[in-house]
Amino acid sequence: METKSPYLLIFRDVSAQTYKGMSAEQRQRLMEQWNAWYDGLAAEGKVEHGHPLEPGGRVVSGTRGERITDGPFAEATEGIGGYFLLTVSDLAEATSIAQRCPSLPYGMSVEVRPVATACPTLGVKGRPASKAEAVAV
Amino acid sequence: MEPATRHGITAPDAVPDLNGSSAHAGSALAARASAVVEHFFRHESGRLHGTLLRRFGAANLVLVEDVAQSALLQAMRTWSIGGVPPNPSAWITRVAINLAHDTLRRQRMVASKEPAIQTQIELQQTEPVDETDAEVRDNALRLMFVCCHPALANDAQTVLALKILCGFSTAEIARAFLSSEAAIEKQLTRTKQRIRDAAIGFEIPAPVDLPRRLDAVLATLYLLFNEGYKASGGERLLREELCQEAVRLTAILCAHPAGNVPRSHALLALMLLTAARFPSRLDADGALLRLHDQDRARWDPELIGAGLSELAAAATGEGLSEYHLQAAIAACHCTATDSPSTDWRRIVQYYDDLLRLKPSPIVALNRAVALANVDGAEAALREISGMAQRDRLDSYYLLHAVVGELHWRLGQHEAAAENFRRALQIANVGPEQLFLTQLLDRSAAPSDASAAEKR
Repeated sequence: METKSPYLLIFRDVSAQTYKGMSAEQRQRLMEQWNAWYDGLAAEGKVEHGHPLEPGGRVVSGTRGERITDGPFAEATEGIGGYFLLTVSDLAEATSIAQRCPSLPYGMSVEVRPVATACPTLGVKGRPASKAEAVAV
Repeated sequence: MEPATRHGITAPDAVPDLNGSSAHAGSALAARASAVVEHFFRHESGRLHGTLLRRFGAANLVLVEDVAQSALLQAMRTWSIGGVPPNPSAWITRVAINLAHDTLRRQRMVASKEPAIQTQIELQQTEPVDETDAEVRDNALRLMFVCCHPALANDAQTVLALKILCGFSTAEIARAFLSSEAAIEKQLTRTKQRIRDAAIGFEIPAPVDLPRRLDAVLATLYLLFNEGYKASGGERLLREELCQEAVRLTAILCAHPAGNVPRSHALLALMLLTAARFPSRLDADGALLRLHDQDRARWDPELIGAGLSELAAAATGEGLSEYHLQAAIAACHCTATDSPSTDWRRIVQYYDDLLRLKPSPIVALNRAVALANVDGAEAALREISGMAQRDRLDSYYLLHAVVGELHWRLGQHEAAAENFRRALQIANVGPEQLFLTQLLDRSAAPSDASAAEKR
């Protein structure tokens, strides 16, 4: 059987201004296109899950993690609106899926990133189950 | 609304499985099949405005519009990726109410306003957001009374209704009214200011004011429908949606105790009987078709049935409104199998009554058209030339089109062509122009005139 690898699609949002200019019907159509797109991928077993991100939240930075910035981030032009976790053959397939993102015409960009699997033998969780195993790796 | 679950998540503790198992894909697809109904976002906008105004008062219309807009945007973004939640309306309401509270809290912090409001608002925060259909309809009716308040100018009423009641965007309204977005925006700002200044409340008017206020609502709904029905511009699809909205709102009005009066039903009957003819109004080339050229098999029998039963519901009490008469005329057309078998004599009588009730040169012109089918084209022409305020119609293309048609029926092709040319100069929309061009071409080729005369 063909091996499949995980890829993350990261959706960088359209500017709030673009959304505001859309009519209710356009918004609904866009949403329906997204849902149909996702459903199609799910039916083909190509997407594991996808989630929107809440606009709120925090950014932690500073060498000791002392700088904490509160959201929301949705107003930012390049804010991350959500992600899909794909399971596909290769980067080319993940890319062609990303090219079908319904919000592209409105200015959204989609980042396609292979999910690194440091230790393939450890399987889906991607993490050693215990410290002992981690040392063994 | 059928329930829907989030994308691909079949259990709350579902763990991402990088091995590519698609076991849950099928169920995800099945769950997603419901999604949301047609026009959900647009209707949701009107529903949300009603709900929020009920809570925050009509004086907060600007705030309410802002948070409703933000909540709908958030819904679109979140649901695009995450799927539609089981109760989408409650989801949006909750988000909007929270946004409103946040905004008010910020405003209070800035202005350090009275803490009394705070207690009230914090109390509301724990209230459930689910509404019954009756509550939604009640809010819609209150919103109609706000939009159609006598303190607002007529065109301002229609525009406001389209914006906050029907969920049309400023761009759509501008297209429907052949205006600019900036102009519509400006007018809306003024209207909202006026609502604040006049301290218009979000309530059903007291019984003593009700009939007058109801008349204002009916007049606006009638305008809204006409705006959609007349072929004077804008996109066809958009115009049909204006009509659908007018029908939807009038039906809400009829179903509510405050609006359930004969003339509301008469207006709804008029709209339904008129809308029934929508499918046959244009020919294959997109040219306007006159009543007697329309393919009656394409008239919508369901709408005709609904219209006739509304007309029956309107036939109670003493009052005879203009809507009654217009609906009765529409019913005469809808129940006739073709133009010759139409009860034109009765239609002329209805126009006579209408003229007494509301004298207008347009009604007189329509009467003349009906009269031509009873007493002939010559009588109709006499009627038109002797009509009161005829000069007011000089810039109305249909006057010249009708006169042209009457001359043509009398075999006076030169006079017909002259009038069609005049009409064509004034008409400014594709379907009207196409139709007039066809008439003009026909006048230039008089050979088939006698055949048409027999019609």
